[in-house]
Amino acid sequence: MPIISTQGLTKIYNERIVPVTALNNVSLDFDAGEFTAIIGPSGSGKTTLLNMLGGLDKPTSGNITINGLEITGMKENRLMDYRLRNIGFVFQSYNLIPVLTAIENVSFIMLLQKQPRNVIEKRAIELLEQVGLSDRIHSRPGELSGGQQQRVAVARALASKPNYVLADEPTANLDTKSAFTLLDIMEKLNHEEKITLIFSTHDQRVIERARRVITLVDGTVTTDIPVEKQQV
Amino acid sequence: MALLIKIAWRNIWRNPSRSLTIILAVVVGLFAGIYASSISFGFVDQRFENSIERFISHIQLHNPDFVHDGEGFQLVANPGEKINWLDTSSAVKTFSVRTRVNGIVATAGVTNGAMIVGIDPAQEKATTRFDEWLKEGSYFEGVKRNPILIGSELAEKMHAGINSRIVLTFMDLEGNITSASFKVAGIFKTIDKPFDESNVFVLRSDLVKYLAVPEAVHEIAVLLKDPAQVKAVGDAMKLRWPETSARTWYEISPELQYLQEMTGQMLLVFIFIILLGLGFGILNTMLMSVFERTREIGMLMAIGMNKRRVFGLVLLETIFLSFTGAIGGMVTGVTLVKLSASKGIDFASVAGDSLADYGYGSLVYPSVSTGFVLGITAMVFVIAVLAAIYPALKALGLVPAEAVRKE
Repeated sequence: MPIISTQGLTKIYNERIVPVTALNNVSLDFDAGEFTAIIGPSGSGKTTLLNMLGGLDKPTSGNITINGLEITGMKENRLMDYRLRNIGFVFQSYNLIPVLTAIENVSFIMLLQKQPRNVIEKRAIELLEQVGLSDRIHSRPGELSGGQQQRVAVARALASKPNYVLADEPTANLDTKSAFTLLDIMEKLNHEEKITLIFSTHDQRVIERARRVITLVDGTVTTDIPVEKQQV
Repeated sequence: MALLIKIAWRNIWRNPSRSLTIILAVVVGLFAGIYASSISFGFVDQRFENSIERFISHIQLHNPDFVHDGEGFQLVANPGEKINWLDTSSAVKTFSVRTRVNGIVATAGVTNGAMIVGIDPAQEKATTRFDEWLKEGSYFEGVKRNPILIGSELAEKMHAGINSRIVLTFMDLEGNITSASFKVAGIFKTIDKPFDESNVFVLRSDLVKYLAVPEAVHEIAVLLKDPAQVKAVGDAMKLRWPETSARTWYEISPELQYLQEMTGQMLLVFIFIILLGLGFGILNTMLMSVFERTREIGMLMAIGMNKRRVFGLVLLETIFLSFTGAIGGMVTGVTLVKLSASKGIDFASVAGDSLADYGYGSLVYPSVSTGFVLGITAMVFVIAVLAAIYPALKALGLVPAEAVRKE
């Protein structure tokens, strides 16, 4: 059974003025433990699809089912709580809280989940060790490089023990070395801990690591194939 | 909550110059408001103290008709019994028995209407500290026969000085016109010019001789040990002497109580207006802060921070910003009030004697009550909450999907 399932997902912006179809009848299934890259040219609907999968935006029509639960019709407050407990986000611009240290940024989401303090601190340290930042746990984002900040963002995304992690162009602002380090870490987490990863990206380095690549053009899925088949 | 507090506190220092500017504005605004208010309170306290302790006293006993008509024959009934009771009452600190008649004061060539008040010097000194108003001469000393104290305004008007002869003409209690010659022993100057111009003081023992009623008493002014007991003692006197009017200070001068209450309320309104102005500054600062952090707030909402917490974060930041300034303003304001309260501020150099025309002295002791400061604290809280609403609503109105991608 897929962890995420979309049926006939359509999103039209400015419906009443100048309608722009960002997604057109997209039906996809994502299994647990997948590492998927969603690719396509700018304006193809990658981010819109990711926003729908993350419950950040609502479709004009169609629905999204996550672990058998339909999230499309959820009220905003319930959806926020759902995101808090089920979805991890990694953003292109890291989006860490600048006034908090790395460990505080990672702990923040667990505090929102009201986890016990001793559990929070232990897990935050573990996650920062996993992303190779055990020596920078008390550094604030401004004291970290872009790559390091994105690794903190990954640790934060994993802190809530999500069902899946959505990453919107996570390597776009990183140099090659930092991008490879980040991808190594995420690939390892995907392999070892079976964390489901869905990336939207233009980055060939990400595409090469993904085990499934979905291509969107003008809001429509044009290809959806495992990497092995694509490479063949 | 602890982390929310930590984030809010650190957030206000992300742009230190902007935060310090608005904090400084609150400090200066509140400091100025508190200090200006303390001077007003000082004037009111002075007016209150002067009126109650120096003129009216806590309770006054009269013939009920005298209160309305002020006729000389309207005497306090059984004064001896009342004096005996006052002498032995544990609630009474001191009292002054007075005899009052309207009359004409005359020197060679100048006449003036005046209230002639007969007093016992020792009683009056204990009750109203009247001797402290003396500017020249002595307190009924140095003149053997018929000494009189006159106000400086009247002395000037009548061209009278120490040892000048003054003729008092008045009607005795049998309706006969009586005149007697008095010699100026002292000249007083209170803070109330109209009072100084229209009142003269003589020994009661001298005045009653001319009134044809040796025990004539028109007024007994009573000072209590505990001012808070005024109502209770006043009620007890009314019950005990139903034939006599026993009026408390707030019945005699209700405007004093009104002045005290209204001043506090008006000054709180004054501070509220200052804070309201500052509130717009705070609102602007918070609005800029929210706009600058669109992406961050969008991220917080995206990862699952609910609207209540986002609102709480903006509210906490506003409260921290406001209270940091408010505490600074209150501390500096109250400190300066305390410092200047010990010596007072003399307005003589700027106001001259003009304050005396309105019954105020030029030396004012600024004062501010704990209740007033607590009132300001409550208002700062209200203003902070009001100033937080609009920026918080702006934050809540962000769409996370769009906000996280904002440049």
